[in-house]
Amino acid sequence: MNPTLHTAAVAALETALNRTLELAPGSLAELEQLSDCVFALHCTAPPLDIYLQPGGDGFRLMGLYDGPVTTSVRGEASDFTELATATDPTSMLINGQLQLEGDSGPLIELQKILATLDMDWEAPLVATLGDVGGHQVARMLRSLFSWGRHATDSLTRQLDEFIHEEARLTPPRLELEDFYRDVQELGQRVERLQSRTSRLRQRLQKVRA
Amino acid sequence: MSEKDTTHFGYKQVDKDAKAGMVADVFHSVASRYDLMNDLMSGGIHRIWKRFTIELSGVRKGHAVLDIAGGTGDLAARFADIVGPEGRVVLADINDSMLQVGRDKLLDMGHQGNLEFVQADAQFLPFPDDSFDCITIAFGLRNVTDKDTALRSMLRVLKPGGRLLVLEFSKPENQLLSKAYDTYSFRLLPLMGRLIANDSESYQYLAESIRMHPDQDTLKEMMEDAGFNRCEYHNMTGGVVALHKGVKA
Repeated sequence: MNPTLHTAAVAALETALNRTLELAPGSLAELEQLSDCVFALHCTAPPLDIYLQPGGDGFRLMGLYDGPVTTSVRGEASDFTELATATDPTSMLINGQLQLEGDSGPLIELQKILATLDMDWEAPLVATLGDVGGHQVARMLRSLFSWGRHATDSLTRQLDEFIHEEARLTPPRLELEDFYRDVQELGQRVERLQSRTSRLRQRLQKVRA
Repeated sequence: MSEKDTTHFGYKQVDKDAKAGMVADVFHSVASRYDLMNDLMSGGIHRIWKRFTIELSGVRKGHAVLDIAGGTGDLAARFADIVGPEGRVVLADINDSMLQVGRDKLLDMGHQGNLEFVQADAQFLPFPDDSFDCITIAFGLRNVTDKDTALRSMLRVLKPGGRLLVLEFSKPENQLLSKAYDTYSFRLLPLMGRLIANDSESYQYLAESIRMHPDQDTLKEMMEDAGFNRCEYHNMTGGVVALHKGVKA
């Protein structure tokens, strides 16, 4: 990609991301702990490379970086979106389509911080609308967003229950794990039986001889 | 006056000893409105060009960086954030008016501790050999009287493995863009200079000095001749600006 356009796109993304983070000051303190890490995100579709360095002031995004990278992730844009919103990022990294190189620990930490962004709407709104107006609008936004988050959590839980318990479309995780354990045990028993029969066959051949 | 003792100042041939003073007059005149004019002239794109320069610099925590012709300190401010308290950034400029504007701006922004301000000529850098991990010169090399001497001086103060980045106006790749760019530079720039900075001559010089500056391949050769390795350049905005990179072996 043309370096001017690529740099402009990365700069715009950085501004948008950091403006969001300004509303979640708690997250900035957590991000500072990852300030020695650089994450390389290599997106194959659409093709785009972004290097991400967290810090106490927010993220530094770069289109180019030739220093040491802590974690490098390669995949399509949709895979990255899935990872960013995953409730279980570890399993997403293991079972998903993303290819990972380097230390996965800091990446999982980063994902957790991003997934639990808690926006402080009050400060910027009070600065613009004044104490009373700003507080009221912030309260409305807070309830709207927390309702959205609670509704999403609740919907996910209910959908999960419906699929597993009501419709029985897929077995619940525990049931599946029991099933796998039984299969494994059965496999071991079959192996033991097989070796026992072969021993008996050998003994029978000796007796006949 | 022999040809050896002269150099260009825009389209004029002037005595080599006189060029530095004439360039100084231009920048004394524009220093106070330099940032505003940069934004207006480039439509803010100079920030993207400088950002790309920072990315290509590979500067990290603890590095020592020299920003030559650093002017009002756009690059130095960002480098000071990146290198952190254990690093060092030197903002150098030959022009005291520009250096003063840059120093005031950066101190007002809260930068201190890892930032130094030095009035220095790029041809005779007052630093020991092998001092810096990275040297940048943004929109400054074309104003230097003897570019070859300046490039050799930069090589001397770079650490082995350190890189030089030269961000400078260059030659547009496309003929049509080149014509549009000419019209813009010679008609609109001086007009904007007259209206905003009350100084059309300085901006006429700016347009002329850009045309007199070596093109992409020539500058790359000059860097190689000075002793830089792995020289390459990246055209930006259709070649209106090019970023050259060279590494000290």
